[in-house]
Amino acid sequence: MVRSFALGVAVLTFLLSLALYFGFDSGTASPQFVEQRAWIGHGIQYHLGIDGISLFLVLLTTLLIPVALLASWNGIGERIKEFSFFMLLLETGLIGVFVSLNLFLFYVFWEAMLIPMYFIIGIWGGRRRIYATLKFVLFTMFGSLLMLVAILVLYAQYHRATGVYSFSVLDYYGLSLGAGTQTWLFLAFALAFAVKIPLFPLHTWLPDAHVEAPTPGSIILAAVLLKMGAYGFIRFALPLFPDATRRFLPYLSLLAAFGIIYGGIMALVQKDMKSLVAYSSISHMGLIMLAVFSLNFEALEGALYQMLNHGLSTGALFICVGLLYERSHTRQIKDFGGVGRQMPIFSALFLIVMLSSMGLPGLNGFVGEVLCFFGIFTSNKVLAVPAVATAVLSAAYLLLLFQKVMHGPIVHESVRAFKDVGKRELAVLVPVIVLMFWMGLFPGPFLRKMDASVARALALAKGKERVSLLPGAAGAKSPGVLGANGGKRETR
Amino acid sequence: MNTLLASAPLAVIVGTVLLILLVDAFSKGRSGRFPAPIGAIALAASSVLGLRSWGKACSYFGGRLLLDDFSIVFLVLIAMTGVLIILIDLRYVPTHRMDTGAFHALLLLAVSGAVIMVSSLDLIVIFLGLEVLSITSYALAGLKREDPRSAEAAVKYFMTGSLAGAFLIFGLAFLYGAAGSLDVPAILAALRRSPPSWTALAGSGLFLAAFGFKIAVVPFHMWAPDVYEGAPTPVTAFFSVVPKAAGLAVLMRLLAPFWAGAGRPGQLRWLLGAAAALTMIVGNLAALRQRNIKRILAYSSIAHSGYALIAVISGDGPGLAFYLVVYAFMNIGAFSAVVALGHGEKERLDLDEFAGIGLRSPWIGAMLSVFLLSLAGFPPTGGFLAKFLVFGAAVRRGLSGLVIIAVLASLVSVYYYLRVIVVMYMRPSLEEADPEGDQPGVFLALFFCLYAVLQLGVAPGNILAFIKQAMNF
Repeated sequence: MVRSFALGVAVLTFLLSLALYFGFDSGTASPQFVEQRAWIGHGIQYHLGIDGISLFLVLLTTLLIPVALLASWNGIGERIKEFSFFMLLLETGLIGVFVSLNLFLFYVFWEAMLIPMYFIIGIWGGRRRIYATLKFVLFTMFGSLLMLVAILVLYAQYHRATGVYSFSVLDYYGLSLGAGTQTWLFLAFALAFAVKIPLFPLHTWLPDAHVEAPTPGSIILAAVLLKMGAYGFIRFALPLFPDATRRFLPYLSLLAAFGIIYGGIMALVQKDMKSLVAYSSISHMGLIMLAVFSLNFEALEGALYQMLNHGLSTGALFICVGLLYERSHTRQIKDFGGVGRQMPIFSALFLIVMLSSMGLPGLNGFVGEVLCFFGIFTSNKVLAVPAVATAVLSAAYLLLLFQKVMHGPIVHESVRAFKDVGKRELAVLVPVIVLMFWMGLFPGPFLRKMDASVARALALAKGKERVSLLPGAAGAKSPGVLGANGGKRETR
Repeated sequence: MNTLLASAPLAVIVGTVLLILLVDAFSKGRSGRFPAPIGAIALAASSVLGLRSWGKACSYFGGRLLLDDFSIVFLVLIAMTGVLIILIDLRYVPTHRMDTGAFHALLLLAVSGAVIMVSSLDLIVIFLGLEVLSITSYALAGLKREDPRSAEAAVKYFMTGSLAGAFLIFGLAFLYGAAGSLDVPAILAALRRSPPSWTALAGSGLFLAAFGFKIAVVPFHMWAPDVYEGAPTPVTAFFSVVPKAAGLAVLMRLLAPFWAGAGRPGQLRWLLGAAAALTMIVGNLAALRQRNIKRILAYSSIAHSGYALIAVISGDGPGLAFYLVVYAFMNIGAFSAVVALGHGEKERLDLDEFAGIGLRSPWIGAMLSVFLLSLAGFPPTGGFLAKFLVFGAAVRRGLSGLVIIAVLASLVSVYYYLRVIVVMYMRPSLEEADPEGDQPGVFLALFFCLYAVLQLGVAPGNILAFIKQAMNF
């Protein structure tokens, strides 16, 4: 009852969020569907709006929450009321992060989102759940508390420069800061986001959290939470501090490139399916960040597209792993073998999901990866090597996984009793797979909605535009922001 | 505005103390249910009378006491805390065989001492208020007469407290020697003289040390965990809020003109900054190793003194008042939950005894979680907004270094607050003794604190405006 109600609410939210997609005007980079209310004062406002960057992340969230709820139907057996409560609370926080235009509000959602995730891992997680959940919270908070100080400094600087109290990120876009200040603020923001992504040396919370989290927790963690970090870079860290961005990009790119290789190699040697997928996430997020740090149009748009793809394919991979776990109560790869013969439909679906993750043409992953490769190659030919390694490595570890689990002799007799996917499980996987094909075959409409916003984010990050988009704000307006780069690209 | 009306808030409280004591005496200690409601009504009446004078600042008793908007804000805060304490002790006091009449008389007397502290600019009167508060506090700590730990708490509190009192008197003597007067403006002038006389410096140092004891600032914090652990739980809740609020308010009021005026406040600011940093670091690190919930909350309240001191250092009056209001609700809320979880005379204090509470008493567990998350500073609770405002003001005044220390210290605090939640929700329960459901007073206090913590976090509009209006210095 509670479960159906929560699912109904989540589906309704998704249907409502579709209105955003159809009502979205792809011709402008300004935030749309803006809602702005006075709140606490001192520049703290309730200020929401979406642009081409946040639109799809919101949709990804609203799509995957019902999917995750449906995927938890059997896996979460106890305390369903609390579970549904926390999942919906999590959805609120996640959407809030993507739509806030006021840094105070953004920070509120960013932190508030930790609480439901903390409970989801801590109550319904695996054996080492308490360790994993505390590590997750403490790692994330370490970064974000320093970001809080940076936000306060930014606020003080803006007040000093203009005499106005504001937390609006649109106002901050118009602020020019000294190089020294930028460095510190950039580092604080970058740390918070790098933990979330996670970039290479800060990634250690991720395998623990992913392995211990229950299936729906892993899905949301991998598919949406990690994107918050990348989103933070695109929305805040890079455009707010262009000078510092230029200075630190080489190092960050190096970390991202290292993460690709490291994550890929670690994934190759994992014995647990969930931690394999977790490490593959590190590798894929490395590629996304490498593309973001390339700071060119193709790469940034590819990164955004790849964020959606990664959300879908990793989410689906976790669903598949969860599905196997529900039948066998083990996640060790060695306990499986010959599953394909018992579960032919599942085997086919699993294969499609894997191919999407590997970037096979015709599926969504291909479009994103190719755009990323193009972009990275344009910026830096050396870094294109680790970028392409993503594809090679992911093919290696995923195909090995498939081979060991689906083919070969049956190791455990219990596998013979496995039932193929049921109706509910099909209802979970099929929509995601349809979307994978859709996004692989017809990427045009998606990408077109991103164009203007990506161009503007890029212009800001390169320091070309220091223009506030709020009417009447200080700073010279240049009309060329919109569509300046939009026409550069070939037709698709 | 006449003296009668100005002194009414204080007079009501003191008069009620006498009434309770007399009734208690004449009924031969069997006043029973009478003192608690009378006390609560007196405190509420005192707040209302105070609020009637809003915006009409005046002084009385020859200028020794004053009732301005600043005092009224703290009067209301302290009186409201007193009402909450009365709500949570309704059942606790009789079950733990404490004397109802004495308890409430002492509680109200302590409140009156704190109110005197915040309504004066005369250092002697402030000392007087402090001593009234302190002496009643020693008695309150030892009121659980059959419990040796309660007696230990009383003695410890008395020893350190009287030492602090001696410091204060000694400091006042020095300051009088330096300035020739105990009026605050004269003393500030003496401190601003360049180079300042060593008597003035020593005097102000001793003065600050004495207040450091009261608000449990490191290195004068040693007494707090033992006293908090031994004292009856409602009294502990009282200790964790009222003396701190009064002490910080006095510091704020005395130091604000000092920061604002000309001269060299630099050294003093460094000194207080170092104390605040130490307080946050030591308080939070020490809390990590505690297993008793009252000791955890004791160290947590030490750390919170550090955060509040940041507001004092940056001269941010509204921030301090808002912080203390939020702190009062979340801390009393947490202690109320501890009281609510008790069973008869047995209290649930060890962390292991909290296992599975979140399942068996979902309401209390959920509320305690909200209070702990608020203490840890998670949005969207009041604890977050309070920290945000204090830290924001500090950054604007160039105290970014201190704020970085503060946020890192609060990262440490997240661990021990969350550990309590871990135990409540993620461990199976050990025993089956459920907390008693029939405690209307405690639940009323809990719900009110919960409402306040969330309201202050999400929509603090009116309260914040009210506080700002009071603190325009």
